[in-house]
Amino acid sequence: MKKGDDDPHTWLNEHGDYLYRFAMSRLHNEELAADMLQETLLAGWKGFDRFAGQSTIRTWLVGILKHKIIDHIRREIRGRNLNEAIENDPTSAYFNANGSWSEAPNAWKENPEDLFSNEQFNKTLESCIDKLPEKQQLVFRMRDISGEDTQTTCKTCDVTTTHLHVLLHRARLALRICLNIHWFGKGSAS
Amino acid sequence: MKHACKEVSKLASDSLDRPLSFFERLKFKLHLSMCGHCRDFDSNITLIHNITEMMHATDYGQTRLSEQQRKRLHDSLNSSIE
Repeated sequence: MKKGDDDPHTWLNEHGDYLYRFAMSRLHNEELAADMLQETLLAGWKGFDRFAGQSTIRTWLVGILKHKIIDHIRREIRGRNLNEAIENDPTSAYFNANGSWSEAPNAWKENPEDLFSNEQFNKTLESCIDKLPEKQQLVFRMRDISGEDTQTTCKTCDVTTTHLHVLLHRARLALRICLNIHWFGKGSAS
Repeated sequence: MKHACKEVSKLASDSLDRPLSFFERLKFKLHLSMCGHCRDFDSNITLIHNITEMMHATDYGQTRLSEQQRKRLHDSLNSSIE
């Protein structure tokens, strides 16, 4: 072990930007990414005796950071005390008994590039995601917002691949309706 | 054919996460060719998916901690570690 290996200030100097970029790529939020970095450096310092030296310091810190980010997402969702009482199939709300649409979807005219760079749209999307029930929100955030692969998402959220796809289907049905009401429906009500 | 919308909405969602089997794809494409509502649903959720893909495809390669953030982090380390 070389000098400075156990010093979080050295970690910050040498790996700070790298870890920050990693956090940004998952969270897309500067303040939050810096907070996660801080928690990571502290956790690393407190748990340094568990660093076995089998990987580099950077790899070890990235491992801690990953956990911190997932913990954060979980905490955020739990904190909102979402109502997920009805565990029967929520998709039935979107369809008639014969499986046809109870409220037919309609075409959205805007293109993804414009929406992506529209701050107001991003806020609307975020508030719609916030309204999803806990488990749906967790898998949607991990899979679609953080861009984790199926395997990682399943493992972290403790669901099977089949269940993951069921949850994502429900999340997308709900998000589509929410965005239709709060964004795409605007101005076309006349 | 309408009875299949619920099932087809699942295929539309699944197609964003896994490759559909040959028969699933056949059923999906055939249904979409006849059902405008499902075509709209498919394009709506694909649009949402494309936007989230842009989010995590954002290149943070040039992103760095600002001097202010870096100083704040050093300071908070100092006060936590003493």
